[in-house]
Amino acid sequence: MSLSSRMVAVLTLVGFLSGGFLATVGHLTRERIALNKKMEVERAILAVVPGASAGRIIHEEKDFTVYAGQDKDGQLAGFAVYAAGTGFQDKIVLMLGLDVSLSRINSLTILEQKETPGLGAKITDETSFLVYWEGKDFGKPLSLRKPPAASRESLSASEVNTITGATISSQAVLQIVNSARERIINLNKEGKLNPEGKDAK
Amino acid sequence: MPSKTAAEDFFKGLWLENPIFRQMLGMCPTLAVTNTVINGLAMGLATSFVLVFSSFLISLIKKFIPNQVRIASYIVVIASFVTIADRFLAAYFWDISKALGPFVPLIVVNCIILGRAEAFASKNTVGRSVIDALGMSAGFILALLVLSSIREILGSGRFLGYRILGTWFEPWIIMVLPAGAFITLGVMMAISIQVERKRKGR
Repeated sequence: MSLSSRMVAVLTLVGFLSGGFLATVGHLTRERIALNKKMEVERAILAVVPGASAGRIIHEEKDFTVYAGQDKDGQLAGFAVYAAGTGFQDKIVLMLGLDVSLSRINSLTILEQKETPGLGAKITDETSFLVYWEGKDFGKPLSLRKPPAASRESLSASEVNTITGATISSQAVLQIVNSARERIINLNKEGKLNPEGKDAK
Repeated sequence: MPSKTAAEDFFKGLWLENPIFRQMLGMCPTLAVTNTVINGLAMGLATSFVLVFSSFLISLIKKFIPNQVRIASYIVVIASFVTIADRFLAAYFWDISKALGPFVPLIVVNCIILGRAEAFASKNTVGRSVIDALGMSAGFILALLVLSSIREILGSGRFLGYRILGTWFEPWIIMVLPAGAFITLGVMMAISIQVERKRKGR
């Protein structure tokens, strides 16, 4: 066999074997990886909607999904909103929990972020940031308090504390929540947030 | 090639030819993912898996591969093992997979692996190649563990996620940032060179 045909033969064989092997590995792990992704979203829904035991998609578009959280008897326990936007370094992805009447924020949790460790990354911290979002009024746009208030009680119903040294990251989260709020209100006006909507169709 | 014992093949990776401190290969993952011990360890193990299996396979098939296409073949072999490691982490260690992000696929271009394939596995027996790869892996993991321990302890007052320094300790944020990686690595390298000089001087 000439050298060039041997080169072609060897490379083809190596490529084929590797391709076949990887296809098998991909097939074996695909289900589990999809399950991991789904579990992560599911966990976040249950965390932001108290009393929920399952979540169901009721509206979906790019970087914006609304879930209805249902309790054990299938009753609506609240809504969870998956939203993403630009942070200081990279995309911030969060899950926002709302009550049944869409008037109040239950809680907020950050799913993905690559903000500066020690500063912007505090947006994932319960005590220094996320706690201020709990129970806030969803009726009008939220705003940031800067410099931060000393206690939760001195903040108004639509105010949250800024993280000292991480104004941009705090604003990024605020921006994502407020734009999600507008979309939610519009969707609700159009009657697209009916948790039974999908079944009726 | 001078004949060497298996022990020499293994231990040279730990110190004399340590991939990080001596050969200065694989700097990118070393600097990027050593902000916590668990990330450093996961990176070290994933790289070791790829290194050992690639060295084994490349050493096994070296006779069949024409010299002209050897690099291409090695890269395909390495990339296959990297993809397996990446899928495995995503399937069974989801959190670690997310923390390491793009650095697992980037193991493909880690110079340690192609370097050992080219410099050792393509010229030596299967057994020696595997021992060499194990030694290099151990040296790489050791270096990552030292770096990530220093960075996690000073940068967040924690070790393996557990708080070991009290609340009096104000974390040095710079240590978990890229600058802290360069500083720590530079200091470690200076120390290792100094130790080596002393050893030779005697």
